[in-house]
Amino acid sequence: MIEILTVPFLRHIFFAGFLVAIGLSPLSVYVVLRRIVFAGAAVAEVASAAVALAVLFQLAPFPIALALTILSFLALSRVADSPRLPPEALIGMLYAGGSAASVLLITKAPRGEADILNILFGNILTVPVSMLWMLVIVFVFLSLLQFLASKEFLISAYDPDMGRALGISVGVWNMIFYAAVGLAVAVSIRVVGALLTFTMLVAPGASALYLTERLSRTFKIAIFIAVVSAIAGVAFSYQLDLPTGSTIVAFLVGFFMISFCIAHIRKGRTG
Amino acid sequence: MPADLIKVSDLALGYGRRKVLQGITFSIRRGDFLGVMGPNGTGKTTLLKAFLGLIRPMSGSIEKSSVTGGHPLFGYVPQRESLDFHFPLTALEVVLMGRFGRIGIFRRPNAEDIKVTHDCLSQVGMDQFAKRPYRQLSGGQKQRVLIARALASEPEILLLDEPTNGMDIVSERAIMELLTELQREKQTTIVFVTHLLSTIERYAHRVALITSEGNLLVGEKERILSPEVITHAYKLS
Repeated sequence: MIEILTVPFLRHIFFAGFLVAIGLSPLSVYVVLRRIVFAGAAVAEVASAAVALAVLFQLAPFPIALALTILSFLALSRVADSPRLPPEALIGMLYAGGSAASVLLITKAPRGEADILNILFGNILTVPVSMLWMLVIVFVFLSLLQFLASKEFLISAYDPDMGRALGISVGVWNMIFYAAVGLAVAVSIRVVGALLTFTMLVAPGASALYLTERLSRTFKIAIFIAVVSAIAGVAFSYQLDLPTGSTIVAFLVGFFMISFCIAHIRKGRTG
Repeated sequence: MPADLIKVSDLALGYGRRKVLQGITFSIRRGDFLGVMGPNGTGKTTLLKAFLGLIRPMSGSIEKSSVTGGHPLFGYVPQRESLDFHFPLTALEVVLMGRFGRIGIFRRPNAEDIKVTHDCLSQVGMDQFAKRPYRQLSGGQKQRVLIARALASEPEILLLDEPTNGMDIVSERAIMELLTELQREKQTTIVFVTHLLSTIERYAHRVALITSEGNLLVGEKERILSPEVITHAYKLS
């Protein structure tokens, strides 16, 4: 463990995993409760199309991917509370549209698919210090926002009609929440890739919801599971020479399976 | 002090281009205990949502006036099935939400808010369940918690959507007697929607009956609940 912190590139991997865990895990609680778990995967496809588009027209890829990711989440916020269309429908359309657009644009792009995917999905093994600072700034801002607006995020997700009756601008808070998730996803995908971002946005919240009946504890447990998975994943991948992102994902899935078993054993005991 | 809390003039409500209710004119007085009833799908919940400002009128107007001169404060009790049971919230946390409109933006509930929350739980006889997960409570207990949440906002008017739906007769009676007590002792104005004629007959002071054609008949319950009016409203042969 100490060895990891003494080697510069390993130290970067360790901090990248730790920051993404701290930043995405609290959001994962609401992502699961709002039933938008596939939003991360769908928006990753949209970001991929955005990068291909930027490469095709020789523009800066990351700002375009960031803008389109946030715009996609804002579009989701418009249907979040719609009686006509469940959010899953738009998530499905974003996934299909994003996938098709990336394939079509990559075919015509002057650089190869591997290059484009590397720009988009980064690599946890080659995280530059500038990206770590970007993660720190974005996640400090988002953590502060979640702490200060916890009551607005809660009532907008749990009982929007009650929120509106109390004079709370539910539509605005939904947009802020979705924009926050969009920002978190955009920077995380760039640093640690789509698979780890998607898993961090689902598994900690899902596992924690199995383990407690208190919302405040759910957030704490989600952060704990995410951080332990990130640290253990980095350490094990180094020791056993395994891909780091997938090892962290394996730990997150393992925690979910343990939580699932604990919840069912408890349920069996209480009848 | 204005006698009417809500004054509705020639109101039409609906979704998209489809009108659900039309030509509605009536008022809700301070201290009213109004039961809203009508056949399924005639717009009882729509009318409540229009009072709350959740649905815009297609035409006509809803004027609201408070003791303080602004809009009256509403306490809203939705149908309890509409709330998501996946949220791990205690009864206390659910009731605390009633305070959110009184706490400024980016501020967190303080000791006074927690005290009011406990007082409201006590008022509905649920303080001993404050730390119990909301989703583990019975239907009647959940309804009490939702009423406590509405009371926590310190409302001038309480709007309840099917407060006794799916309850046995004992729980139904307990909830309705709690509302009667609130109306009598605190002069809280109460508007409740129900499809149960017996509940309206027993507890409401005035009745708003929505007919199957989407018109509204409002008045004292002896007049509105006459067999002729009910037969016409429900198109009974």
